Amino acid sequence: MNDPSEKGFSRDAAGGNGRGEAEATLRLIARLPAPEGLEERVRASLRAAPRRGRILAWPAAFRPESGWMRAAAAAAIVFVVAGGGWGVYSRVEQRQPARTVVLTPRVPAPGGFASAGAVRTPQTLNGPVVAHPATTQAEQSKVPAQPAEKPGRRARPAKGAKASAQLAAPPAR
Amino acid sequence: MEIPEQAVRDEAGQRAEEAALAALVSQYAATLYRVAFSVLRNPADAEDAVQEAFVRVLRHRETLREVRDQRVWLIRIVWNIVLDRKRRAKTRPETDDVSELARVLPSDGLSAEEIASAAQHHAHVLSCVERLPAKEREVLMLSAFEELNSVEIASVLEISESSVRSRLFRARNLMAGLLQHTRSLR
Repeated sequence: MNDPSEKGFSRDAAGGNGRGEAEATLRLIARLPAPEGLEERVRASLRAAPRRGRILAWPAAFRPESGWMRAAAAAAIVFVVAGGGWGVYSRVEQRQPARTVVLTPRVPAPGGFASAGAVRTPQTLNGPVVAHPATTQAEQSKVPAQPAEKPGRRARPAKGAKASAQLAAPPAR
Repeated sequence: MEIPEQAVRDEAGQRAEEAALAALVSQYAATLYRVAFSVLRNPADAEDAVQEAFVRVLRHRETLREVRDQRVWLIRIVWNIVLDRKRRAKTRPETDDVSELARVLPSDGLSAEEIASAAQHHAHVLSCVERLPAKEREVLMLSAFEELNSVEIASVLEISESSVRSRLFRARNLMAGLLQHTRSLR
């Protein structure tokens, strides 16, 4: 198998020539013959080896390809939707009938006084009378002119007339 | 009792797979051993790695039909196994490479002195190979196999062919530098 010129212990290899030295050594090792009976030993180890990796398998009914997973998922969705709907329904209050207080008619006690058909009417109170305070003309003049009145402005009264009016009017209380 | 047709077919398929696997063993066991030995440099470990590789093939024999190049596929399996083993073995003390090489390498017609000197030389070269960066070292080691071309090396290492070439170039230069350096120190 090996060429005599490339023997591992040739004098060239021992001498060395730089770059090729490494490759010569590696090539020498790469050409080493395999030991006797290697194939037989490998075959024996293959016979002794377990055929397949042992994997825990699902029972046939639980295998994914049987479709049980899809059915279980569908059932879970239905359960969640129905449960949620029922939860909402159970929390919403039903419409209650109007609460009325039934008063029993008053039956006069025997031997007592009768009302003689009198109906009691509550005494209505007179509400407070709101008295509008009298405003002076001076206060009136302070009030800004209304926008509606703008187009037709009335002429101002004369100064003298205003003073006489103030004297004539009684002081506001 | 009637034997179902499916069972007969399964049995026949299993036999065919076993025959294919036996053929693979007789065809590639030696190649895989050499690949394993080039990394581990221990006959027993290399043989273990080959056995492990074929056991893995047995476990995944369904994929065997889909494999395009079975030789490269098997080399990739054993390559990964030996790299993994080597990584784990780093915690163990290094074996004596010189004596191991002297025992393993062919030595027809050589004196004991010559054998010892050559073994020492190869051990020194291999120690320099070990000092290379992992990427360059892997390409250099695989390039020593004449059965593998650059495309196949690229397939084993799962890199591009141009990467293989550039890494090989770097590895050779680094090796030359390392050997030169060690020689100048002597």
